Amino acid sequence: MRSTARPLLSVLLIALSTLATSVTLANTPTIRLFPTTVVEDLRQTGNVARDMETGLQEVIGRLDQQQELYQESKCDGAEDDSGCQRLARQIGATYLDMLTIMEERLPDMEHTVNNTRLSLEKGLRNELGKKMTPWTLQETLVGGNANKTATQSSPTLRGRSGMRLSERFKQYYQLVATSGAKGDQSLAVLASDIYLDMEETSLLIQRTRQEISRATLMEQLNQSFGIITPEMIEVVGGVKAILFGDEESQALVAGPPPGSVEQAYRSPLEK
Amino acid sequence: MIPNTIRQRLLVIAGLVASSFVLASCASTAPTCVGPQSKNLGTAIASVQSSLMDGCHAHFDRYYSDLLSIAEGDPKPENKREFSQFLVWSSDKGLLSNRQAEDYYNRYFNVKFMSLKGDYNNCSHTCPNKQKVLFDMERELSEKERGLLKVSLDSDGYYRADRLYQEVELVLEATCSACSAGR
Repeated sequence: MRSTARPLLSVLLIALSTLATSVTLANTPTIRLFPTTVVEDLRQTGNVARDMETGLQEVIGRLDQQQELYQESKCDGAEDDSGCQRLARQIGATYLDMLTIMEERLPDMEHTVNNTRLSLEKGLRNELGKKMTPWTLQETLVGGNANKTATQSSPTLRGRSGMRLSERFKQYYQLVATSGAKGDQSLAVLASDIYLDMEETSLLIQRTRQEISRATLMEQLNQSFGIITPEMIEVVGGVKAILFGDEESQALVAGPPPGSVEQAYRSPLEK
Repeated sequence: MIPNTIRQRLLVIAGLVASSFVLASCASTAPTCVGPQSKNLGTAIASVQSSLMDGCHAHFDRYYSDLLSIAEGDPKPENKREFSQFLVWSSDKGLLSNRQAEDYYNRYFNVKFMSLKGDYNNCSHTCPNKQKVLFDMERELSEKERGLLKVSLDSDGYYRADRLYQEVELVLEATCSACSAGR
């Protein structure tokens, strides 16, 4: 998972550039949801996310080793032991390093995520909100081919809540890669998905930044006692899950419809 | 010369016969408007057409539902055509307006949602009524389940409609959020 995250980000950026080019050059798309600024913002967000990932990878690796040593030394339940206290302080110090890196990188991340969000917001408001009626929006989504096979018509949507960063980018790549040539219906869905995701991410970054100050203070206090708090382990686990993925949660893919029947008939009443 | 008593009796009998004729004629003009009895869709449609022409047009909704139930008993792709032809006939006979006929057909047999109509832009019209629009779409989706899936065996069409519902839900959520942010 770790080794695939970076290439995926690069591929995502290339794919987004291709998408931007195709959207700009092709005459067919009538809506402009991914102008060059949005693609540039996405590229920037990808870079910042990659930098943060790189910075944290080493610290988290160190934390893993220290926690392993702590457990192998049977320090659980032997907190009064001076050796164990020293190990706990080392873990605490590394944890503080992790918080510091996050504190340093998150403002950049927040800035680029907000830029992307605002660019998409403008595009969605103008192109889908003000230039379209509900019926034209529906026709855009159907893509003028309502009877086309469901599984092949466009990429499948994913939920956003609770999704990991790397997985999200991977899915964006897949969505962009398969929807680029298919026209407006995929772009509208993709833009909406990314926008809502960025909105949620932006909120989470804000909250995380607030929490980092509190967690840093708490850990500085804990350093004097040399203890590992459950909160510390939980936070590290959470950061790992966000950055490097969690094998347990796989992306849901809609199943094919059960059976298919040739549909040749078209009613004169059909809209 | 007929005596008065006999004449009176004859008049009474004639009156009774006349009354019975009047009553009998009244009974034959009031339509019973019973639903189609046949389980064969073609026969049932013919029966419904006959009833509709006999003054039962106020019961159109019920007849349409009856026909759908009968078609569910023998689902096949050709049923779409049967319903389309029946609705075109209803429109030609002036029982339905063209728009009503389209609505009856598309709600059940088309992927697109008739509840997602409107002449104004999404920011001003759809977003303030988003919940109602989605609720209506959900109800229409169950009608499409009946028409596309249970009557016509068009599972592709139904799953495309289901997917379209989800896409509209997502796109409206994002678009309406963007609209409200721009106020």
